[in-house]
Amino acid sequence: MPSDEIIDPTLQHDVSVRRVLLHLVLPLLSLVLGIVAVILIGVHSYRTTRAGVETLTHELLGAVQHYIAQEVSDYIRPALGGNIIASSMIEHVPAGVQERVFYSYGAAMLRSIPQLQSFYLADDQGHFILITRHGKDGKQQERTTLQVHDSRKVFHHDYYTDDGVKVGEADDPAPEDYDPRKRAWYQNTEGTDAIKWTQPFLFPTDKQFVMTSSLRFKGQDGHTLVFATNISLNALSTFLDNIKVGKSGNAIVLDKQGRVMAGRNLMQIAESAGWDPNKMVLDPKTHPVFARGYDHYRVHGLGPRSFTINGKQYVTIAAPLPNSTEGWILLLSAPESDFASFAKQSSQQSLQFAGVIITFSLVLAALLIRQVRRSERSARLLKRQDTQIAHETSAVQQVAATPALFDPANDALVLTEQLAYITNAHRASIWRFLHDGSAMICEDSYDQKQDAHSGGFEMSRSELDEFFKAVEDGEAFTLPNAAIDARTTQFERLVMREIGTHVLAVYPIHGAGGVLGAVVLEDATMAPHLVYFVDLVASIAGMRLMALQGVSSPEDEKASGDDGGFHAALQNAASLPATRFDNMLMHAPEVGGVSSSGIYPAVAVLVITFSDPVVDGEKETEGLLALINQLATEVQRVAQERKLFAVEVAGHRMICMAGCTPDEDPTAVIRMADAALTMRETFMAALAAADLEPVFTMGLDYGAAFGGAVGEDPKVFNLWGQTVSLAELMAQGAADAGTIQVTERVYSALRDRYLFRSRGAFFAPHLGLGRAYVLAARR
Amino acid sequence: MDTRTVGPLLELNKAVPSFEESGLPPVPFSMRIMPGECVVVEARDASRATMFADMCAGLVPLDDGSVKFMGLDWATLKDREINALRGRIGRITRRPSWPEFLSTHLGIALQQLHHTNRPLDEVVAEASRLSEWFGLPGLPVLRPSMLSDSDLLRAACVRAFLGRPRLLLLEDPLEASPVDLENPFLGAMTDARDKGAGVIWLVRNNAIWQAYRQGVTSMWRLADDGLVAVRTG
Repeated sequence: MPSDEIIDPTLQHDVSVRRVLLHLVLPLLSLVLGIVAVILIGVHSYRTTRAGVETLTHELLGAVQHYIAQEVSDYIRPALGGNIIASSMIEHVPAGVQERVFYSYGAAMLRSIPQLQSFYLADDQGHFILITRHGKDGKQQERTTLQVHDSRKVFHHDYYTDDGVKVGEADDPAPEDYDPRKRAWYQNTEGTDAIKWTQPFLFPTDKQFVMTSSLRFKGQDGHTLVFATNISLNALSTFLDNIKVGKSGNAIVLDKQGRVMAGRNLMQIAESAGWDPNKMVLDPKTHPVFARGYDHYRVHGLGPRSFTINGKQYVTIAAPLPNSTEGWILLLSAPESDFASFAKQSSQQSLQFAGVIITFSLVLAALLIRQVRRSERSARLLKRQDTQIAHETSAVQQVAATPALFDPANDALVLTEQLAYITNAHRASIWRFLHDGSAMICEDSYDQKQDAHSGGFEMSRSELDEFFKAVEDGEAFTLPNAAIDARTTQFERLVMREIGTHVLAVYPIHGAGGVLGAVVLEDATMAPHLVYFVDLVASIAGMRLMALQGVSSPEDEKASGDDGGFHAALQNAASLPATRFDNMLMHAPEVGGVSSSGIYPAVAVLVITFSDPVVDGEKETEGLLALINQLATEVQRVAQERKLFAVEVAGHRMICMAGCTPDEDPTAVIRMADAALTMRETFMAALAAADLEPVFTMGLDYGAAFGGAVGEDPKVFNLWGQTVSLAELMAQGAADAGTIQVTERVYSALRDRYLFRSRGAFFAPHLGLGRAYVLAARR
Repeated sequence: MDTRTVGPLLELNKAVPSFEESGLPPVPFSMRIMPGECVVVEARDASRATMFADMCAGLVPLDDGSVKFMGLDWATLKDREINALRGRIGRITRRPSWPEFLSTHLGIALQQLHHTNRPLDEVVAEASRLSEWFGLPGLPVLRPSMLSDSDLLRAACVRAFLGRPRLLLLEDPLEASPVDLENPFLGAMTDARDKGAGVIWLVRNNAIWQAYRQGVTSMWRLADDGLVAVRTG
């Protein structure tokens, strides 16, 4: 893309964005969506399971609660039922039998129902009898009667075995103020015929928590009687303690004031309450779960509740106890995990499964992305290969399309150019052996970085014997570092070091008579992959060299191989007539060896054009005139030194010519090129001294022209023809000021002796296509 | 090395132009132009030649096939890229096409000013140089309607060759033009080709290009049955 173009249409941003979207973002998005879906499903499943578990827990707890309530009810039922049965039995017997019936009933009940502790019977006259357990194991019975001995109240105790055999008796003084009618169990039945319960009370001696249920009735004799049953709560507590609610839950019985009636660790509670039943309430520190459950009950009423304590879920259920008129509450509590642990495990498993799925998805996505990247890389590689193939095809086409490819007279610059492009070489050059093998001449060398051709360098066998031998072996070789190989050390020093290349690939050019030369590639990275193309170019170069040897070897010998003869010719030029200066620099025409008008076959014409000087004021004009004079003088000097034929001055232009002889003068163009270079240096120096930019351009052509002296007095020599026109065109069309632009003919004649830079092909009016070169320096 | 273009510069691959839109025969057109090539297309009908040039520039909808310029199919590009790509085409039309609301020098420089960020001075300098090259005393600043036909033709040449066109669609400017335009035109064309441009030279008369026949790569004729290759020799 030209750097100044605002939009580069060849850049296809949207395509690459789409590709990235398709190959990277989409799979990742799908993956993320997949993961999110798995997580959502997991969460939903967890919630559903949890809700189900909660319901299940409540139901299970409800079932347990029913069971416990039934058990507790069963526990205290004997006390309730017993009261009714006993009172019913006693009220229907004569007063004298009442005691016997009471003892019989009490003994039977104590024997069969372990939670019953004792039975009381009192009447409104202050009579009192009781039957209770006795002995360590509670198997024996003690029958106590309140008697008056010597006007003192005593408790008379009779001890019986389990089988009803009396084993002893004892008296025990009773408190003087003892009156059964004042006891709580007697008094709370006042005015009612329903069963009444007393507050639990503790027997500190045997650490029994006991409650009394009592029932009032009338005997046959009309006296009022109260029957009472003591039932132990210790056994109920032990029972509740043994009940497992879930894995680690338990149950407790509270009354409506929140006092603990029965439950686990009843003794510790009683102890911490100072053995006062009224202070036995739930302590949130020791029973946090029951305390919270009781709070929920007080706020929300009966039923199951869930709450969290210390990050743990608990479920409690509060239920009324049947058969308890005192408003007792059964409170159950259990950690939810006891019931929901399987759900938690299930959730964890789901999570693990989800994790496994996500991991697999990630792995698959990574594999997919990797695969996509690999495919893309392959596609890029293929595209690059396609481009390379297109490059190669294009190069071959370019080579094939070059006109007169096999004509050695025509420069085939395309060969080195395409070689350099295709193999990505820094420089590609074609060398040929001289016919005697004493030297190698560079036919053409193309520097890709500089985009410049050069050629004509010479290497002699004396300097590079090893390299010559290596080429003559006929085997192609590539060296990663030419400097350290004995064969190429000298070549590297002489040729490669100048541009700093290291890798050298040499492909000998084979001809009918052996190796004709070599194709040399420097820093050619692609050369090993493109041997066929190098071979193709080498073959073409071989044909060209063969043709060169076949066609022009005698000339070659004369031109390049026989420098001595050429020097002689140059020497001969010294005998040429003195330079003619016409027009402003006119001297009287010398009658020299050339005076005849006509066609000269090989004239070298140099046209120098100056741009318009800008003068401001007389002083500057004088200075400029002095400078022009100086330049003119220099031209004269150089022309005379180089034995030019004539110099003409016309306005802004100066025309120098050499070789105006009927016979071809091969030295003319060389002398003219030398003169041009000398003049350029002189002009540059003079203009620089006068602080002026180089304001001149030079054009040089070499070929046939016709001319002669015209006019009478003075006779002026003039030259016409295509050569003059071309030289003028070259001067006008020179690339930069201070350059010497020459035609292809001059380049062909001088390329072995001078350095040229190609400027490209041009179409010149009436002349057609031609190449122009810039003469840079002498070799 | 942006001067090198891989593959064909312009490729008509069995492109069937829409007859309704163009008036060109709806037959497949196939042609390839490599960088630096000069293709002469002989078209007797001037309007048809213009439509053919339009087709090369992606202005004619196709019923089938494709037209690729610098490897890019006109049909697959977006407007932004299409416009930028057309900025690489230099064109001389037979019927003068100049915006009347702009002076000729702006009409000449407009393409470069729109598509590139070259400084104005540079564009004007190049346009002036080309104007002198094509035989104008300088860059014309009058409105296009005030120029003579021949001067307008020269200005069209300047506009076509300004910048660095990759493809030149030239509807023969040499026909009925001053003789002295021929050399600058051929010179500029050769120069552009040397820099890698491809040229489609649409001519009505075979005699026109004979002076340049050594430089012509191939010769075609725009006939009712499409493009027909003509042997040159």
